[in-house]
Amino acid sequence: MKILAIETSCDDTCAAVLNNDRVLSSVVSTQISFHKKFGGVVPNIAKEKHKEFIDPCVAKALKQAGVAMKDIDVLAVTYGPGLAVALEVGIAKIKELAKEYNKPVIAVNHLEGHLLSPFLKNSEGRIYSNIKPKFPFISLIISGGHTELVLVEAIGKYKLIGQTLDDAAGEAFDKVARLLKLGYPGGPLISKVAETGDRKRYDLVRPMIRSKDFNFSFSGLKTACLLSLRKIYASKSAKHDGEIISFSTTSDYFDSTKMFFTKKEISDFAASFQEAVADVLVTKLARAVAKYNVKHVSIGGGVCANLHIRKRIRQQFEKTGIDVAMPKTRFCTDNAGMIGIVAYHKAKRCEFLKDVMKLDRDPILNFK
Amino acid sequence: MQILKLKGNKAKAISTAIKTLKEGGIIIYPTETCYGLGVDATNGEAVNKLISYKTFRDDKPISVAVTDRKMAEKYVTLNSTAKNLYKEYLPGPFTIVSKGRGKVAKGVESNTGTLGIRIPKYDFMLKLTKVFGKPITATSANVSYKKTPYSVKDILTHTTKKQQALIDLIIDAGTLPKNDPSTVIDTTLDDVNILRQGSIVIRHKHKVITHSEEETRGFGEKLVENLIAKKLNKPIIIAFQGELGTGKTQMSKGMAKALGIKQEITSPTYIIAREYKLKKNFAKFVHMDIYKLMEGKEIWDVGLAEMLKEKNLIVIEWAEKISQILKEQSKKAFIVWINMYHKSESERIIEYGEFE
Repeated sequence: MKILAIETSCDDTCAAVLNNDRVLSSVVSTQISFHKKFGGVVPNIAKEKHKEFIDPCVAKALKQAGVAMKDIDVLAVTYGPGLAVALEVGIAKIKELAKEYNKPVIAVNHLEGHLLSPFLKNSEGRIYSNIKPKFPFISLIISGGHTELVLVEAIGKYKLIGQTLDDAAGEAFDKVARLLKLGYPGGPLISKVAETGDRKRYDLVRPMIRSKDFNFSFSGLKTACLLSLRKIYASKSAKHDGEIISFSTTSDYFDSTKMFFTKKEISDFAASFQEAVADVLVTKLARAVAKYNVKHVSIGGGVCANLHIRKRIRQQFEKTGIDVAMPKTRFCTDNAGMIGIVAYHKAKRCEFLKDVMKLDRDPILNFK
Repeated sequence: MQILKLKGNKAKAISTAIKTLKEGGIIIYPTETCYGLGVDATNGEAVNKLISYKTFRDDKPISVAVTDRKMAEKYVTLNSTAKNLYKEYLPGPFTIVSKGRGKVAKGVESNTGTLGIRIPKYDFMLKLTKVFGKPITATSANVSYKKTPYSVKDILTHTTKKQQALIDLIIDAGTLPKNDPSTVIDTTLDDVNILRQGSIVIRHKHKVITHSEEETRGFGEKLVENLIAKKLNKPIIIAFQGELGTGKTQMSKGMAKALGIKQEITSPTYIIAREYKLKKNFAKFVHMDIYKLMEGKEIWDVGLAEMLKEKNLIVIEWAEKISQILKEQSKKAFIVWINMYHKSESERIIEYGEFE
């Protein structure tokens, strides 16, 4: 079964071609938009951008896979969750292709894509993560827009057991980078400066780590970081040439050209923050594994590209006999390959849309 | 194509590289991260040549290498975030993006006028840029997105004859340590002029202090109940100004409660806008965080016009970025401005009212 999948839920326009669950090609718009924008760093969410990139992305995915439109058996598209005007572009494209080539369509939940991303196979049929799904298992989805724990009873059978009540984990990285005046995006940057940092130096509260549910509060951690930085600042503010800038009105802090923290303090703080995020994620994940008595764990989403978090999750389950399936780095962030694998399984269950023209986006789609 | 060994041959390597760059040629040079592809970034023809070399590998923009902050400031404007990064992390494996001054060849700055600067922590490159006196392009000499080039052999075995014909000089420093490519940091989102279209003075200002997250949520709930009671016949925009951690999301949760929304209200920062369909009072609750927008006018691409067509309740965090646009919409929508500040660890000052 040859599948053409399209994903436009947020910043990147993505297209992929799969043969069943084997990835033949996976194209992301940042590979198309040569030097127009800074490598996807500058937000690229506008629907006009998706409209501009969707055709070249689809063409490139087909070409790289060596497949023509007439050979495609199934079309797949993300219908949520995401930015409404961005989702609409992918859906409109799929409707156009379905009509022109008379192909069946499968609508895919973006989160299910992240959930199944560790089980994608390369073109020879080897699972990238080398780990087969064993049911039931717990999946941890951690990205810029989501942080969720999901019980997977079978492919297609999911139960949301916990989620962030405010900010997503990935967002906390961006915001703490901003507090440290490090720029955007925060993920790669925090992990880089944290490499040499002392992760025990700053004692940050881990919001909700003891709560009995499986929810998270990364906004709480962000606020803890703000308060902690303010304390460090207060303890040394007198040293700054007598110039007192009140960190309590944070805009004064951001407008000021002064650097309040040393390089060592920033490295240590980044490492301490990253450790706090890892502690919360690992603790809740381990507790979910125990409660639901599963023998298998998978992770997905952009934050899974963070090496320290990968390491902490791996260490947690090292001697327990519990397998951890992690996606290959390029399938952590948004991509259409993961949409394709969901479509493959839905196609096997014959979950095709009855009337593709009626397909509408669902910006707040989630697992039940 | 000429290949020069760097070891024991630095003076000649520099003089040959300078000559090649002056003639508009392409050089391949070592850095602390990987081999880079260099042309004179102010020479339009040379940049075009570089682009034609790179067409097959198109997922990274062009950044430029300079010798120090002073030289960088001829080509970009540095804000406080950028200055701090230069001080603490350069020279080093970072590409720092700032607002460009339009002084490099066409195609080097991004289409929004930003430019990425590298100051490699690599003695040869620091000397070369210093002697050359102009920025040199610093894109990695990658041949495919899989392979980062750490040796001249990596480059030669993965390039076509046609591409090799475009390379004029390779400075060979042997196999480089396998460090990751530089980390790209965008500092322009913190530019004060981007963040603030103009500060908003609130008319008929009210002020309250909340002492906990619950109180902040409660305030949001009450505010929306009052707005519903007004029975207005147009969309309502609640425009937030306030720094990180002041409780904007908490207040939005309270507002959603007043609207009868059962789902968890999570932050819309990453996807910019989340929409919740409603059964009564309003068509939709739209929760937006526009911090990531580069320019205020991008709000139209996120769908503001469509949102204003029906009776929606629209909450916008970081609304100061679009204050001018909102002023122009004040006939189409009823706009409430809310400023939030920290008072203490748990206390927040909330000011609210209509436009001045």
